[in-house]
Amino acid sequence: MVTAGLALAGAAILVAGTVTIMVAIQRRPYQAEIAPTKGSPGQGVLYAFTLGMAPWAKESARRHWVAYLRGIVFHIIIFVGGLFLIASPWLTEFPSLLRVSLAALFALGAALTFAGFGMRLSDPALRRLSTPDDYFALALVTLFLASGAASAAQIEFLPAFWAISGITMAYVPFGKLRHFLYFFYERAFLGLVFGSRGVLKWKHE
Amino acid sequence: MNSPTKTKQNKLIIAKEMLGNLVDRRVLTALEVCVRCGICTESCHYYQSNPKIEHTPYYRAELVRRLYRRFFDPVGRVFPQWFGAGETTEDLLSKLAETAFSSCTLCQRCTLACPFGVETAEIMRITRSVATATGNAPDILVELANAAIAKEENAELFRDIYLDQIKDLEKEVQDILGSSKARIPVGEKGARMLYVPLAGAHTIVPQAVLFNIAQESWTLGMFEASNYAVFLADGVKAKHIAERITKEAEQVKAKEIIIAECGHAYTTMRWDVPKWRGSPLPFKVRSIIEVLDEYVREGRLHLDSAQNSQPTTYHDSCNLGRKGGIFEEPRRVIRAAASDYREMTPNRLHSYCCGGGSGLVAVEEWADIRLQAGKLKAEQIRQTGAKIVVTSCDNCRHQIKELSERHDLGIEVTSVSELAVKSLA
Amino acid sequence: MTLEIKSDQTINLEGLLCPIPVVKVSQAIKNMAVGGVLEATATDPGVLLDIPAWVKSTGNELLSIKKEDKLIRFFIKRTK
Ligand code: SF4
Ligand code: SF4
Repeated sequence: MVTAGLALAGAAILVAGTVTIMVAIQRRPYQAEIAPTKGSPGQGVLYAFTLGMAPWAKESARRHWVAYLRGIVFHIIIFVGGLFLIASPWLTEFPSLLRVSLAALFALGAALTFAGFGMRLSDPALRRLSTPDDYFALALVTLFLASGAASAAQIEFLPAFWAISGITMAYVPFGKLRHFLYFFYERAFLGLVFGSRGVLKWKHE
Repeated sequence: MNSPTKTKQNKLIIAKEMLGNLVDRRVLTALEVCVRCGICTESCHYYQSNPKIEHTPYYRAELVRRLYRRFFDPVGRVFPQWFGAGETTEDLLSKLAETAFSSCTLCQRCTLACPFGVETAEIMRITRSVATATGNAPDILVELANAAIAKEENAELFRDIYLDQIKDLEKEVQDILGSSKARIPVGEKGARMLYVPLAGAHTIVPQAVLFNIAQESWTLGMFEASNYAVFLADGVKAKHIAERITKEAEQVKAKEIIIAECGHAYTTMRWDVPKWRGSPLPFKVRSIIEVLDEYVREGRLHLDSAQNSQPTTYHDSCNLGRKGGIFEEPRRVIRAAASDYREMTPNRLHSYCCGGGSGLVAVEEWADIRLQAGKLKAEQIRQTGAKIVVTSCDNCRHQIKELSERHDLGIEVTSVSELAVKSLA
Repeated sequence: MTLEIKSDQTINLEGLLCPIPVVKVSQAIKNMAVGGVLEATATDPGVLLDIPAWVKSTGNELLSIKKEDKLIRFFIKRTK
């Protein structure tokens, strides 16, 4: 039960940290586009969160399709991992097929995040620009998914999963993992600015 | 009192303070969201033309990111190394300045390549502000901004010279049109449009010809549209320089401000000035190419594409295109004015910067850097086989001309307006 | 009769469009000794305004600027 406490404490830090960051963001000045629009900011935002993220919309994603796909897939798996964490106190009631599937999914996720070490270390530019924060975050997420996989397969690992989840969540507000929150802001800003300028839109002539 | 160490300390203090103030919501987000994944690497023309780590978008942004974390992040302040931040020194400040001014043209191409949409250009823009405030900006940009202000402060003195010059140009327009009635009105009250040129005659004569043909109600602006303080990211001066134009538009009671073919001048007047004022402008702002497109579509201007049969291509200025959504307007006019139109690949939204943007063409010391960064554009042009390159920005025009010399492209570089005049039916 | 101005260096800015003439002048002046005189010829009429404005804002001295048919010739003395 100690580890359940750790998970809860981590979750509390995550929530408090997220709120603090949001307040800090909101405190910063923001200059909205106020000139008469050429396009539609609403459409821009919608586009930014949907088609604008489709791999085929970006030459960079086509070029780095492994990295791009890896990113999309493991982020989805992390999201599922979060849901699993919330539901994990009732793990004994999970049908076994679901547990096996989740174990496999999280194992895949762990493998994908672990591969991040290889990608960082093998690319000279990434190696030079990666920070301790990058490696630490990668390690935490890898452990989170690996322990998730283990506990989905074997209930005995659940305390370890909770402990690691707690630490990971607690770290989110302090390092790069907080990008999950900024992601929504960045896409929204992009959509608002480029949408109102008629740059991002469903269909170009 | 100003011992060298003291000035250095002051510079660091100013840098820190400015950085703290300039990081708005957009910049903060751009600083925080990057995960150093490298996906944007090849999106930058600098990297494409010379692939090295320093030419990746995230390398540049990371320099500022680390400085910012060292100054302001709760963890970064205690353990800067955790985020890879090193010592904050005077040298770092000048390195940052050089990066922001010479190795990023604020073209925003990387933003669209990034899975998040990190606005590296915004980070570089505030870095330019810090550099300008700490005296690390290129002298010539400061001189050009100051010269623009000097022109306004001595408006009376310059007015006569300007009017003389315009009289000469009016004669040219009359010769071209074969009509002594053709005019270049200056400061004419009640004109519907205030057309704001650049300093050169090539942004006055062809446009005057076209306005006369379309029987437009227009008047020529007293001041040039370009605003070098924008490149310096010097908000106060940039606003001042832009206000010369809005004041004049108010004086002549124009309904519209029409900006010459110039990328940054358009972005500034169309999108930025309202933000600086805190309210929309009381008149419409358009680029001359939007006006020409309208003339062609409405039949006020008849162009004959047979007059230009040489292969022709269009280079999208980043300001007009990616930052302004003006993609089809120039293309429609060019297609009407030239019979063999070809596209570069990629184009429009994904067009590469020519390498001369954001004031770089004016900084002679870095000519080599920008000409090297333009290698990709030169290659793109070559692949089209075009003999005429049209662009709607004077900076691009100058850069592409020099690229042509360096890479032996054998092309002629022109503007939409000039091409239109050449194709008059 | 006008006094001949003696220049220490001459640059040709013909065919260059504004603001490049100013850029080149600024660069050339920086490489000259204080007191040196730069002579330049240009064709873009924009220099008729741009050069005097630049000189005013930098504090150098414009000794003369004249239009000779299509050609514009000017002399600038570096003062600091
Ligand atoms: S700017 Fe975007 S694409 Fe480039 S490294 Fe950062 S997150 Fe990745
Ligand atoms: S804004 Fe343009 S020049 Fe600057 S890093 Fe991005 S792609 Fe390169």
